[in-house]
Amino acid sequence: MVISRSLDDTSALPTEPRLMEMFNVSRGTLRRAIGDLVREGLLSAEQGRGTFVNQEERVRRVVWERLKHVAIPDSRFDRDLREFVPDFFGSDEASRRVTSLNEWSAASRVFCAPDNSVEQLRYEALAAGKSILVPTYGLRRGFAHLDGAVLARSDLRHAASLDGMESYGTTLGPGDLRRFGTIELIITGATAATTDGRHIGGGQRYLALEWTMMEQLGLVSTSVPVVALLHDCQLVDEVVEADHDCLIDFIATNSRMIHVWGSSPSASNKAPLTLRRIV
Amino acid sequence: MGIVPLGQQQGAPHFEENRVTTVDAETYRERIWAELAKVARPDSRFHWDFGSFICDFEGSEQCSDRILELDALKQRGDRRVFITPDNCLEDLRYKLICRGISFVMTTYGIVRGFYELDVSTVPAPDRRYAATLDGFDRYAKPVSLSKLRHGEKFSLLVTGGSAVSSNGVRFGKGHGYFDFEWAVLSELGLIDQSSVVADVVHDCQFVNDVMPAERHDVAVDWVVTPTRSIHIDQTTRQRGQVYWEMIPGTEFERLGIVAELRALLKAEST
Repeated sequence: MVISRSLDDTSALPTEPRLMEMFNVSRGTLRRAIGDLVREGLLSAEQGRGTFVNQEERVRRVVWERLKHVAIPDSRFDRDLREFVPDFFGSDEASRRVTSLNEWSAASRVFCAPDNSVEQLRYEALAAGKSILVPTYGLRRGFAHLDGAVLARSDLRHAASLDGMESYGTTLGPGDLRRFGTIELIITGATAATTDGRHIGGGQRYLALEWTMMEQLGLVSTSVPVVALLHDCQLVDEVVEADHDCLIDFIATNSRMIHVWGSSPSASNKAPLTLRRIV
Repeated sequence: MGIVPLGQQQGAPHFEENRVTTVDAETYRERIWAELAKVARPDSRFHWDFGSFICDFEGSEQCSDRILELDALKQRGDRRVFITPDNCLEDLRYKLICRGISFVMTTYGIVRGFYELDVSTVPAPDRRYAATLDGFDRYAKPVSLSKLRHGEKFSLLVTGGSAVSSNGVRFGKGHGYFDFEWAVLSELGLIDQSSVVADVVHDCQFVNDVMPAERHDVAVDWVVTPTRSIHIDQTTRQRGQVYWEMIPGTEFERLGIVAELRALLKAEST
């Protein structure tokens, strides 16, 4: 029931007696079931208000189910999509859509998420002589800072991978992120995204954390173009509340490019749109 | 070099060469991991969690140079090379690719079974990448057990490990993946008396002490560290086999190759 509800339904679950009747279960069974779902993050119980569905978590589950069919296994986590953002069949086409953007050509300092789907674009960025900033997986060892202009051609594939990137360039902790300079483009994968530009990551919200760090250091502002690489099946045509300002401008998929804010996004028309997250 | 043997701590008796140990593997593991942490390289995903992966370490490049000198590699003829997906073997994989030596490797945790890398398919600039677990996936092709068994036998098998004893018994990480791979390849008839097993470890992972081997343990012929290659006589090593009764309840139970091997052997016996 929770999974099949419409996504913009933000009302509380029905009362206990009603649920017991609907599922024909005892109060004990119902409470255990709800308790399990709360622990898994799918429901949240709010004192005095009722039990609500965690929208982000529900979207993740819907999308993971679809994504299984097109996801490419991770070298360590295989198909355990809770642990990583996978590359997918068709990411080459999505990447080509990104490299033909003017925003891509104009940027020389690019933030790239450590998502597997972004590996090809990390390579393209280095090959184009750009500098990239890549968080290590789970932010365990800070950020890798790689400069495509000084790397040997034969190192680029290695440097673009999570396994190889820390062998090149420098590692920056949160304290020395400023050395990278202001970021001109953000490229990320996602577990899911909404057509109105909300990024839904894995459960740990690393992108939100990284965004907050970079924003506080003055490295990004809401005018920085944000590009998300997704498979079509990761797109959700609903409104989900976002909890940070890293709103997506371009969604590049295996089949199309979506300009979230219209045909020519710019600082002037994007700034007020961040207010939309209150909707 | 080497670990500070437990026996050289103050108040403890000195080690004698090759005496049968009374110190259990657990005690050694903690000690070795503490030493290893000083020379280890973190994993891209698992960070410093040594329980989840076999780490690379300072000096693994010298280890791979030593492996390249082994007769089992130089004089392998048509026979094949098997490598485990351990981080300390990344440089070895790179050097094999550069020398045009194809190899068979399992995926992490054997979850997707055996893969074969035909090194002629790797473009020269991508060699470093193809040697990593991330890159290997891009170039290697899965190989079924039935296809695997129709190829040549294995001349050399290289693995890493948390620790290895002077009689060639590996211990430490505790999953037993390599022992299982050895057992599967043996069941397929791809291992014989001349197959050589080499264990790549840092000096601090070599324990100059005799460890008891369990029946499913593969004792190794060579311990290869950054500073030396130690040969251990294994002429009495038993033929490997899968102990089916040990599988239920373990992580091996769900592996695709377990079902595949079972079906293969069953078809054969009927």
